[in-house]
Amino acid sequence: MAEPTIPTINFKEKAEELLPQGASFESCLTCGLCSSGCPASGIENMDPRKFIRMAMLGMDEELSSSKWIWACTQCKRCQHVCPMSIDISQLVFLARSNWPQEKKPAGIVRSCQLIQSTDSTSAMGLPPEDFVFVVNDVLEEVRELQPKFKNLEAPMDKKGAHFFVNQNSREPMSEPDEMVPLWKIFDIVGADWTYSSKAWAAENFCMFSGNEKAWFEVIRKRVDAVNKLGCEVWLNTECGHSYYTMWNGINRFGMEVDFKLESLVTYYARWIREGKLPVNSDWNRKNIKFTVQDPCMIVRKAYGDSIAEDMRFVTKALVGEENFIDMQPNRSANYCCGGGGGFLQAGMTEHRRTYGKRKFDQIAATGAAYVLTPCHNCHSQMEDIGHHYGGSYGVVHFWTLICLSLGVLGENERTYLGPDLLECI
Amino acid sequence: MIEEARHFTAELAVIGSGLAGFAASIFALNRNIKTAQIGNTGAIAYTTGYLDLLGSLAPDYAASIEDPWQGLELLRSSYPEHPLCRIPQTDIHTAFEQFTGFLGECGISYSSPGKTNARVLTPAGTLKPTLCMPATMQIGTTAFSRQEPCVIIDFKGLKGFSSSQIAANLKDQWPELRNTTIEFPDMSLGEIYPEVMARALEVPETREKLAKILVGAAGETKIIGLPAILGMHSPDLVRKEMEQLTGLEIFEIPTMPPSVPGIRLREMFEQLFPQKGITLIPQQKVDKLKIEQDGARLFLSDSFGPITVDAKSVILATGRFLSGGLEASIDGITEPLLNLPVTQPGSREEWYREKYTDRRGHEINKAGIEVDASFRPLDNNGAPYSNNLFAAGVILAHQDWIRGRCGAGVAIATAYKAVEEVEKYLS
Repeated sequence: MAEPTIPTINFKEKAEELLPQGASFESCLTCGLCSSGCPASGIENMDPRKFIRMAMLGMDEELSSSKWIWACTQCKRCQHVCPMSIDISQLVFLARSNWPQEKKPAGIVRSCQLIQSTDSTSAMGLPPEDFVFVVNDVLEEVRELQPKFKNLEAPMDKKGAHFFVNQNSREPMSEPDEMVPLWKIFDIVGADWTYSSKAWAAENFCMFSGNEKAWFEVIRKRVDAVNKLGCEVWLNTECGHSYYTMWNGINRFGMEVDFKLESLVTYYARWIREGKLPVNSDWNRKNIKFTVQDPCMIVRKAYGDSIAEDMRFVTKALVGEENFIDMQPNRSANYCCGGGGGFLQAGMTEHRRTYGKRKFDQIAATGAAYVLTPCHNCHSQMEDIGHHYGGSYGVVHFWTLICLSLGVLGENERTYLGPDLLECI
Repeated sequence: MIEEARHFTAELAVIGSGLAGFAASIFALNRNIKTAQIGNTGAIAYTTGYLDLLGSLAPDYAASIEDPWQGLELLRSSYPEHPLCRIPQTDIHTAFEQFTGFLGECGISYSSPGKTNARVLTPAGTLKPTLCMPATMQIGTTAFSRQEPCVIIDFKGLKGFSSSQIAANLKDQWPELRNTTIEFPDMSLGEIYPEVMARALEVPETREKLAKILVGAAGETKIIGLPAILGMHSPDLVRKEMEQLTGLEIFEIPTMPPSVPGIRLREMFEQLFPQKGITLIPQQKVDKLKIEQDGARLFLSDSFGPITVDAKSVILATGRFLSGGLEASIDGITEPLLNLPVTQPGSREEWYREKYTDRRGHEINKAGIEVDASFRPLDNNGAPYSNNLFAAGVILAHQDWIRGRCGAGVAIATAYKAVEEVEKYLS
């Protein structure tokens, strides 16, 4: 069979359709702020400014087949710093969708196929019955072994619950005990919540694979599941792109939904402010230093700085104000870690680590011992580049530190703690 | 999907995120005025970091001005419509002091406004007059004036900054100047950017590696000049540490845009203003502005949805064509937010002179809006558009800030004056 070829896109024409007036290629001043601020600059001999210049010059064949579109994480930092607000990520999405399925990075395509393969919408293909089994199994064990939580609950398909809680597949699939701290937090604040046996999963690689139809299908399943249970809030847990793909997808596809989309981070902050989550930093006697990674998908690309402020409020409450060091740049100006856009699944390890060097430098400059982030892709990428570039920092979930501060972190829930943090328990 | 609309209130809404907008917010902060600042990222990331008050005089902009204060006096007689002529010199001085003082307190030290202009280095290897400069650049000026031996260093892969060009252009004026090229540690991917180098130098390990290379490159010379790459967030600290590690005196020279000194300012403002209580929405343009007798409402939206801001007063610091404060079309130049009348040449034929590089500049560059003595924009009848609307920065008519080397002067001084008037209005 002949090798599939990549069709050529007329980028200039498409840009006129896609980009709002005043943000077209024509308004590009070629100043280079985009490229200067892009960690993917130089990979595959491409950068955002070059991408635009080539499109303006009609170099459509070269652009249509450039592998760089898989190294761009669509983090939108280029648009953020552009005085003309030109959105290059939309064109990257277009280019991705234009590649024949067989040519796209197999890992991203496979993740999207797995999401479509079950009613779970799980990128690891975990079917609903297995998810239900794992949740109940872990719950039973916690009730038995942790007397404080002998009445702990992890409701499943509870109609009319306030929160419909999603779950990244990594936990039920490979580290089920990591689900427990979140359940404990819900228990402590008295949240009315439920998992759903269907469409419970968080991840959505269909968007990253440039498969718009599949992206829509995944979102439709999730919207249906929330509507079916009649929940008021779809609560996105510590996962970045799940929020963006749902929120952006609902708007993009013009879907009607009558629930709110919210992020767990804002609830952490709210519950701490309301005194429902009585965390403090007394445990951090050794003044262990922490920094925060702002996931692009919920900060720059969605909520903006308000959620970044919540993250900082929560972090300072947990570790002590004096033990928090901000990365530079941060909030909406933060760099993508290099794990976004499906990069972790794309099999382009060398490029991904080159991209991640910027993040590694940012973390190293803080001198922090730990990075907190509410995003699984950020989490994995920062761990990987830490090992690769010889860093000595750890990466932890918020739920882990919250439970540590509250003195309720079970023995099996300490995977991401280094010896220094373990000593504080 | 159920969404909550976002709404903010303030005593003052500053529209614009350039130098004038940020300066206005600083002055408002100093006067305890509750402020919201809104506006798409301006050209602030393009600045050299130098703050010019007045470097050259209309009409021919021939000689470089040594004493900007005396220059302002001359301007009063030669071009009294210039916005800087409407502000007392003591106020201009205070404005520069407050502005540079604020920057210093926030971690980017600047020289204080002095009696004369300094002659500072440009990336082309020319000299220009300026009033205040970042502390990281000061040694270059003193080394030049004392004619001390110095090496300018550039980097492989860095475009727009050539040490040999700088040395060649300054050869006659600075015979003790040499130049060399080195490689930046651990940066192998083709073109490299000052921003990336600056961020890498925030990491102690990179500083140590670069220090070793710099010592070799300096040889017997004790003063070196680098492109502006000495850290992004804490340049004074990075420079001090590099000096300690190398035993050399080190200074920065601005680079072509996108330049680090501009990004430093932008990121510092964006981080510190919210901490100081300013509502800052720096990435969005205001779509609509409604001015009424007792207040104003701003309409805008970001990716998350609509935002409204209610304010008692407004400062328009929307800049010129690049940032959208003025718009040019086949029919002429307009002000898009309120359709304020724009003073401009009678026809398009008069916009430009024959030669682009004509020393006298072009008429279009003096186009802008008119204000009264209180910096309130005027309507078609020459009366204030509203008692609660003020304007600052290069949107104002009768100045060619590039030729006059007075961009920061116009931005900072008029922002100071506008905020003073806002305070009077609010009380």
